[in-house]
Amino acid sequence: MAEIKYIGGYPEYMRKIIEKVEKTREKRLGYTPAAMSMKERDEVLKIHPDFAPGGKREILVGPNKGERGSNEVVDLLEAYPLVDAGDIDLSRVDYETKILIIGGGLAGTSAALWANDKGIKPQDILLTNKLRHGDANSIMAEGGTQAADREVDSPDLHFLDTIGGGHFANKPDVVRALVEDAPLVIKWLCELGAIFDREANGDLVEKLAGGISRRRMHSCRDYTGLEEFRVLRDEFRSREISYLEHYPVIELLTDAKRVTGALLWNLETGEYKIVKAQATIIATGGYGRLHIRGFPTTNHYGATFDGVVLAYRVGARLRDIDAVQYHPTGAAYPLQIVGHLLTEKLRGSGAQPVNCDGEAFVYALEPRDVEAASFIRECYVRDKGIVTPTGLRGVWLDTPLIDLKNGRGFIEKEFPGMMRMYTRYEIDMSKDPVLVFPTLHYQNGGIETDPWGKTNIEGLWVAGEVSGGVHGKNRLMGNSTLDCLVFGRRSGIDTAEYVKSGNKKNSAKLTFDHLKIYVQSLKEAGVKPTRRAPILLPDYRGKAALARMIDVF
Amino acid sequence: MSDAKDFAFTLTGLRIPYFPGCTLKTTAQNFESSAVAAARALGIELVELPRWNCCGTVFSLAADDLIHHVASIRNLIRVQEMNRQGLVDGENRMVTLCSMCYNTMKRANLRVRQNAEDIKKINDLMYREEDYQGNVRVIHFLELLREIGMGKVKRAVKKDLAGLKVAPYYGCMILRPKEASIDDPEAPTVLGEVLRALGTDVVVTPYNKVCCGSYQTVHDKDAVAGLAYDILGHARKSGAEAIATTCPLCAFNLDNRQKEVAEKHPDFEHMPVFYITQLMALAFGVDQGVLRFDQNYVDPVPLLKKHSLLDK
Amino acid sequence: MEEIKNPVMDIIAEANRSATSGIDAKDIKDWITISIMGRAYKVPADLTILAAMEYAGYKFVRGVGCRQGFCGACATVFRKKGEYKLQTGMACGTRAEDGMHLAQIPFTPAEKASYDLTKEPYSASVLIKYYPEVARCVSCNTCTKACPQDLEVMDYVQAALRGDFELLATDSFDCIQCGLCALRCPSEIVQYHVAQLGRRLYGYYGLGVPEHLKKRVEEIEKGRYAKALDTVIAFSNDELRKQYVGRDIEPEQ
Repeated sequence: MAEIKYIGGYPEYMRKIIEKVEKTREKRLGYTPAAMSMKERDEVLKIHPDFAPGGKREILVGPNKGERGSNEVVDLLEAYPLVDAGDIDLSRVDYETKILIIGGGLAGTSAALWANDKGIKPQDILLTNKLRHGDANSIMAEGGTQAADREVDSPDLHFLDTIGGGHFANKPDVVRALVEDAPLVIKWLCELGAIFDREANGDLVEKLAGGISRRRMHSCRDYTGLEEFRVLRDEFRSREISYLEHYPVIELLTDAKRVTGALLWNLETGEYKIVKAQATIIATGGYGRLHIRGFPTTNHYGATFDGVVLAYRVGARLRDIDAVQYHPTGAAYPLQIVGHLLTEKLRGSGAQPVNCDGEAFVYALEPRDVEAASFIRECYVRDKGIVTPTGLRGVWLDTPLIDLKNGRGFIEKEFPGMMRMYTRYEIDMSKDPVLVFPTLHYQNGGIETDPWGKTNIEGLWVAGEVSGGVHGKNRLMGNSTLDCLVFGRRSGIDTAEYVKSGNKKNSAKLTFDHLKIYVQSLKEAGVKPTRRAPILLPDYRGKAALARMIDVF
Repeated sequence: MSDAKDFAFTLTGLRIPYFPGCTLKTTAQNFESSAVAAARALGIELVELPRWNCCGTVFSLAADDLIHHVASIRNLIRVQEMNRQGLVDGENRMVTLCSMCYNTMKRANLRVRQNAEDIKKINDLMYREEDYQGNVRVIHFLELLREIGMGKVKRAVKKDLAGLKVAPYYGCMILRPKEASIDDPEAPTVLGEVLRALGTDVVVTPYNKVCCGSYQTVHDKDAVAGLAYDILGHARKSGAEAIATTCPLCAFNLDNRQKEVAEKHPDFEHMPVFYITQLMALAFGVDQGVLRFDQNYVDPVPLLKKHSLLDK
Repeated sequence: MEEIKNPVMDIIAEANRSATSGIDAKDIKDWITISIMGRAYKVPADLTILAAMEYAGYKFVRGVGCRQGFCGACATVFRKKGEYKLQTGMACGTRAEDGMHLAQIPFTPAEKASYDLTKEPYSASVLIKYYPEVARCVSCNTCTKACPQDLEVMDYVQAALRGDFELLATDSFDCIQCGLCALRCPSEIVQYHVAQLGRRLYGYYGLGVPEHLKKRVEEIEKGRYAKALDTVIAFSNDELRKQYVGRDIEPEQ
């Protein structure tokens, strides 16, 4: 076979298709396809992976027994523990803390800072991380954070956008907390020295995004989550709050009714440690690495659903666990970056989805599920996608439009991370479109909470992506970092109050009683002990190497 | 400054690469603001290097210590870039204000220009930059003044400083070693020439090139205060009311150390220490906002008021 | 009862297999050989260093994070075949090449200072107080050469020295704190810590809290929106739908 000839990062045949995009570009500059009606939305959503048949099944055990969830999710809910309760010595406590926070992304780190603000000493808080402090989806958030802080905007509009985007399945009191606290947490970040994009007069730059009715996306170039997080981590370290890294929690501990601590496991040495805690906050993030329905993901390496698995075993209720978010614009080419996120801010800044004939086939800022489903339809139903050399299909995201609309150099200034990613593969996204296809992005549902992050289990709070309710069936752009900041803050404050008002909690027992009950229910439901969870990390080892591996240590 | 004036510079004025140095951006902002304004009044646009790093601070004398000259040479490469980018037009000179920066970069440049092997090694180490061709010249602002002529300086004066008795103080860094000197190292006159052009009464003292104590100021305040006492005392005895200098470190030692001097010698009378460019800006009648006396330790305002030299 | 599978979903899953599970040798046509910490492995061509190491059989617990260039966990040093230059990059964003020798550097030992922004002056002296070694910079530019984000690291260190907080913040903004600059610096400066402190000072003192934000937070605290929120929260599902569909959308800027 002849060598493929590449021009500006693309093989020759894709170049030819790009020419069609170039031909229609000028015409499309002033053209916006109409947004879909609710009926059209319902129609296209039929091909969304959440609704296309074959992806879900009923949960056999636990608080949500009888409800349906993605197969990959139910697999983990119906899995046996990593440890045999009898093998663990719970009599020696290694860490005694007032507040245990599991997971150090934006939510967990915010919780620690606010608990400290409310009078809990740094040494009485313990933040544990599966990987490093900050190895989280939070830092990969590119587009921004929503907050209704302009005169033409208001929290109740933000409320409507969020509930409509979530298909009216959201928990209203939790959404209210989200939108009402939003300006406050942005202000908090500014006061800690976070650098948001500014207008010449010092006002915050605010942009539109899919499904929102006012410009209210606050961004930090395309490193929004990174900037927000590293400022919080810097403050966290400055206050010398205790933390552990490479120490995942592999099981919660209870006194049968109340969460009283956790079992930690040293990811490198394999040694376990026992933590006793008066209050526990789970902030472990989402589940992209489960690769639901075989989709690639935008998520970080540790996004494996651990927190939900642990909480479900102690009896925490879940909601909307059936709703998976696929981000419409994952990279589809080149191979090395398949699934990587292309921020929605690109479309917010003028980039258009375009098919192989150079037609703008969908309004660029539909809610994410609608937008994603329309890409799948374009590629697999209407057959107007572009096929990559490795057989993937995708549609163009016509990024050069951004500079045409905003002035030359805009992409380079506003999207340095994106530019960098493509430049490594010789593609200049300010001159050529990039190929996109939906990628697994976000866990819409999770552990149910009240507006302060409190679960139905005493002693247990949750914050961030691991929680369910605030986003209903579909999260809007800019509401995830916001979720982390608002409910991190609220859970930090609420646990601090709980701990301060506490009595005899230090005499709490540490047991695996809840686990015995859960394992019993698995056996009764006929679940075979082949699966274990939490899985902690995905496995990408080559098939050949795996086939000949001997497990000695 | 108005656009029209900017335009005039590009047509007729001198646009010359200018290296500020760290001190002029922190504790000696008064030096920079007054110099830029004074130069402009003379039709000289000091065009700050778009990117620059520390000069290297002290010229390293060790023969095998080439790494310490990298800082200086990198700044000279920026001058080449400015020419290529059209920020200046065929201008291979780089002006400095700070005497220390001048001395360090001048000598590093001399060293590598005299030694092809040095240039090659440094270029090799800095492979991300374009090669240094060895053609840039490091000059001090006073040299530039001398070149355009004291007559022109004098013509730019709007309000001469007659009656103000000022002792020039050179320090070491623009005079030593000989190959880096901008003037006769034993009998320098350039500061006096400028002061005279501004209309001041120039007071020459034998202490005008005695070391100010330099970096000893960090570890041995008393020793430096002792030197300041001698230098300022002799100036006073010779009839001077103020000192003029071009070195931020000399200025610091003569100005700020007057606190320690006064503690030791109750009869000591404080004496303002000016950057020569502050006096130029004053005489040229530019907006007095650039004088930035807030950064002078000994307040020169009473003295200037005495001579009716301030707007307000 | 087992539901009918959706062929589109199966096609998508099959096409994405190499990005969602371990690579199968039978899918690979082109091969290269790389040396991981001194041992040679035959791996598929066109992979990142990270994916190539996983193919070789490594299961990472260190030296991996977001896998997309944001977190700085997978710092790697390498030399290409026949080249004397020691190069640096993130394993997740650097293509493995035939003949490449590499080792990962998953951690940089460096102490972060503790400080309270609100108690510090807005001046270069703060950076020098907490990280005095920053003054040891000899402008050798080794940090810049090491930066996988292609930042002008030395320029921002120099900006720090002269208290140019805006330049420091702008030039260092895309830093992912991988630590490679600090590891290569002959003056033992921890550039990314200096930059973090500098950016926060710039954010706090240089930019501050914008007025419209202060105003809105005050309004919320005074209950200006409480009634509107009480109303929307009490809406029936039908009413919510009506309100949502009928809301006006602000045009793009």
